[in-house]
Amino acid sequence: MSVLLLDIVTTAAILFTVATGLMIILGVMKLINFAHGAFLTIGGYAAYVATVAGWSPWLAIPFAALVGLALGLVVEYVIVRPLYARPLDAILATWGLGIIIGQLITIGFGREVQFVEPPISGAVEFFGLSYSAYRLLLVVVAMVIGAALTGLLYFTRFGLNARAVIMNEDLARGLGIDSTKVRLATFGLGAALASMAGALITPLISVDPNLGLPWLVNSFMLVLASGVSIPGLMIVSLLLGGAQVVVSTYISPIIGGLTIVVLAALILRIRPQGIG
Amino acid sequence: MSASEKVLAVEGVSSGYGAATVVRNVNLSVGKGEIVALLGKNGMGKSTLLKTIMGYLPVQQGVISLRQQNVTREPPHRIAGRGVAYSPQAEAIFHDLTVRENLVLGMPDPRRFDEEFARLCEVFPFMKDRLAQRAGTLSGGEQKMLILARALMARPNLILIDEITEGLQPSVIDRLGSALLDERDNTGVSIFLVEQHIQFALRVADRWAVLKLGEIDDAGECAAPSAAARIANHLAV
Amino acid sequence: MTEETLASAKTAPATSARPRPEWQRVLRWGGLAVALLAVAPFVLDTYTVNILIRALFLAALALTVDILWGYTGVLTFGQSAFFGIGAYACALVFTHYGFGPDWAVLALVAGVVAAMAVGALIGWLAFYHGASPLYASIVTLALPIVLTQVVFAGGRYTGSSSGLSGFPTYYWDLETWFWVAGGFLTVVTCLAVLFVRSDMGRVLVAIRENEMRCAYLGIPVPRIKILVMTAMAGVGAVAGFGYAAFTNVVAPELTGFLLGTELLIWVALGGRGTIIGPVLGTVAIDVTSSYLSGSLPFVWKLLIGFAFVAVIVALPQGLLPELGKALRRLLRQTPPPSPVPELREKPPSNIVDHGRTPLFVEGVARNFGSLQVLQGIDFSARRGELLSLVGPNGAGKTTLIRCLADGMERSGGKVTIFGRELGRWPPEKCVALGIGRKFQAASIFETLTVAECLRIARFRLERFSVWSASPILDLPEAALRIVKETGLADRLDIEVRYLSHGQKQALDLAMVLALEPTIVLLDEPTAGLTKTERERIGGILTSLVERDRLSVLLVEHDLDFVRQISSRVIVMHQGKIVLDGSVAEVVDSELVREIYAGSGHEAAGVET
Repeated sequence: MSVLLLDIVTTAAILFTVATGLMIILGVMKLINFAHGAFLTIGGYAAYVATVAGWSPWLAIPFAALVGLALGLVVEYVIVRPLYARPLDAILATWGLGIIIGQLITIGFGREVQFVEPPISGAVEFFGLSYSAYRLLLVVVAMVIGAALTGLLYFTRFGLNARAVIMNEDLARGLGIDSTKVRLATFGLGAALASMAGALITPLISVDPNLGLPWLVNSFMLVLASGVSIPGLMIVSLLLGGAQVVVSTYISPIIGGLTIVVLAALILRIRPQGIG
Repeated sequence: MSASEKVLAVEGVSSGYGAATVVRNVNLSVGKGEIVALLGKNGMGKSTLLKTIMGYLPVQQGVISLRQQNVTREPPHRIAGRGVAYSPQAEAIFHDLTVRENLVLGMPDPRRFDEEFARLCEVFPFMKDRLAQRAGTLSGGEQKMLILARALMARPNLILIDEITEGLQPSVIDRLGSALLDERDNTGVSIFLVEQHIQFALRVADRWAVLKLGEIDDAGECAAPSAAARIANHLAV
Repeated sequence: MTEETLASAKTAPATSARPRPEWQRVLRWGGLAVALLAVAPFVLDTYTVNILIRALFLAALALTVDILWGYTGVLTFGQSAFFGIGAYACALVFTHYGFGPDWAVLALVAGVVAAMAVGALIGWLAFYHGASPLYASIVTLALPIVLTQVVFAGGRYTGSSSGLSGFPTYYWDLETWFWVAGGFLTVVTCLAVLFVRSDMGRVLVAIRENEMRCAYLGIPVPRIKILVMTAMAGVGAVAGFGYAAFTNVVAPELTGFLLGTELLIWVALGGRGTIIGPVLGTVAIDVTSSYLSGSLPFVWKLLIGFAFVAVIVALPQGLLPELGKALRRLLRQTPPPSPVPELREKPPSNIVDHGRTPLFVEGVARNFGSLQVLQGIDFSARRGELLSLVGPNGAGKTTLIRCLADGMERSGGKVTIFGRELGRWPPEKCVALGIGRKFQAASIFETLTVAECLRIARFRLERFSVWSASPILDLPEAALRIVKETGLADRLDIEVRYLSHGQKQALDLAMVLALEPTIVLLDEPTAGLTKTERERIGGILTSLVERDRLSVLLVEHDLDFVRQISSRVIVMHQGKIVLDGSVAEVVDSELVREIYAGSGHEAAGVET
């Protein structure tokens, strides 16, 4: 029972971490980034490269974030910028970008599955239970990311500008805010978060060129169901992630894999604006 | 007035939405420290002209300059960056942001917030303990004062305001007018007002112009005794 | 406006040669395709024929994506699911139940019925009044994912992850299979071309261009989308059935999300909204993939990725239209003119004068949260009355118009139209009561022609063919008059995005009148118009009221215009009606001067 609780909490933390990059881009730019899965994959390979180079696994995480940031800035400038007026086309173009990234990775690294060392391994005693130390660490990481994003949005000038652009872009521009720059920075940030998340989850799974795909779909559903807000995303990660763990444990892992998608689609039918 | 004193110059400007031309061949200017009021009935193109000056709408013809610089094709944030504070007629504040956040958003240099805010509280004392309040919960009059306050805190060269008096109590209108005049006298800011409120316009402005079907139909000095009657004639129903 | 001008303005003489009917052209191209298909197996090598057969089935599936996405604007990730249902129906029946002609028919029918049922369910989920276009994408994304997992969960019955293979099937010659697949694709393509060029097909484009406007023209958008979704599910299932019967293998990938996205890529590259583009694109890409996947597997997919992104960003219409343009430039041909229907005046319907009040509004209110935008609105409109709504910005005029044209809008109160109460009805049902609403900005269908826009407005009153475009366009007198007076009659084949602002506004008004409304709601119809255009609109409105005895409700800022044409004026201020009376009573009243000229409370205080 208690292990189940820990599973739920750690699963929710992982889902939250993986989805934040997608959410920040959708929230500020009103753009669904279907290259999110590919950015996760890039993060995974960045961590792999760091491992092969013999760097500390701790270093792999900021390295992945930097790679994601650089790539995100380029992608925004080249592909995303012409598509703001065509949101459905933006989904497709970023999906195409995902294919390009996936194929480049395949060409560069091959299709084989690779493994990455976690920064901490083994189990810890937690209220009398033995539980994966790394999974517990990810809960802390998720909380740090949530707090950092909240801080960025609510206590910095960039955050204020971004919120102003979300609420009323025309007014924000009239007050001197360059919304193009806000978007560029946001996409870079979202890509960096996704890439970092990719590096964070790879020690749990393994690295292959299609790593990001299943996470993309779940993140997409969670973000929409969350109503695109940080607390909302925490809640749906806990609720739907929890449902996934329960269904997988007691019914079947195959049905468990569907839980998030189906529940999110139903939530959105009843409340199109999400739970937030 | 010599050309070098023009803070805003609009020369032969036509603009509109898509294929529609709403403003036609408009010429006008605002000198340093001058207040100019643009009047006209609804739907005559007044707001369209302001949006064109701000760079929201493409100029179909003509030239717009700010302090001798051609800004005809600049986007809104650049225009604002040149020291222009603009308040649209509707949706002019961020309802879900706090009063402080709304004020900060207008400022190119937020480090001067405390200093500017202290100055402002002398004009609008009610704001002193409302900084953390959500702007959407202010009363209608208070919201308009917030709009003006945001413009003043930016320390602009030019203020563009679209119908700030709409739907306000006379006492509030009075305070807004005094605030504008004081600011002009203290800082030498130039102000371009779009108005329907004749008395307010005549009290505040130095010169007036009337826009009719997108064209400047008439213009004059506010001090002229005939001004009120002439404008009223244009705005008569 | 006199009878002479009307008669002289009459265009499109009946004697002009009518262009060849669409079905004859389609038949010719179809014949050509059949001829090519007949010869192909004897010219091509076995390997090519083999992969072509699969590609032909997939092309039929891509075509259904094109109708949904390219024409109707529904970005679907889920067509693979229906393909998979058809394929699994074939494999399951042949594996577990039996094989033979009876079983084959049964399997096909079962597959199609199941797919259509799922399609209808998905449509019902995704297309409700006010649904966002994104939600349809979400549901169609969820569908293949769910279905794939269902196949996985099926254990030995569905073959789980390895699928089913080696079931008995028709081991015909490769040529026979090629002809079956090619014949199927040709028939589906010809029917699809006829369909999208028919009057009904144009409705789909109208929905893609401006769904809200469609609702206000009385078009039941959700129902049409559900029907299209259901039909396309059926076609997809047939293609899947054929694919499975030929390849003798089904795998969960056939139902999957990845195939769903690949379909979008093929359609986008070929040219969305062209039918032929996606069909050719699918065949070309699929065949090339099969050749190159051996030698350059990753590079080929990489190239497809680059091409896809480039096309979406730079050539959203895809490659076929660009090729067509280039070819025409090479041959110095101009594109064939689109056929223009003959304009005809529709005799006035016998509107029974119920003797009831056309519009009766009681206590209507509208809140946005705690903000009261309208409160306690009471008034009625009589036949043959031009009622102007005036008041400063933000007085609630447009909100009131909205509450009359959409039953979901108001927060309280009652609206009665000819004695029938307007419930919580969506706009398309309000139209059926006789309400026609013109929006402030011209709201037309940018990529349709003038004639097509007018035709769309007739949807509620005419039966629209699914296979052909009617050569005759019947319009009521008032709509016809606008079309002729504003020169639109000579531009019937022009796409409306090329019209001037004034002509767009005129077309929009003509579309409203083509609905044959009894109550016309107009939101600033003269905004941005020249003086001549204003006067023309004024004349038309006057005659609508005086001759056709319609009730016209006009929101207008220009009080001169109001004074000229109104029979009654209602003044609104801060969400309430403050005056309701004749032009003389209202326009010259002190109150209006105060409110409207913006002299506000101060002046009121001084002058009273």
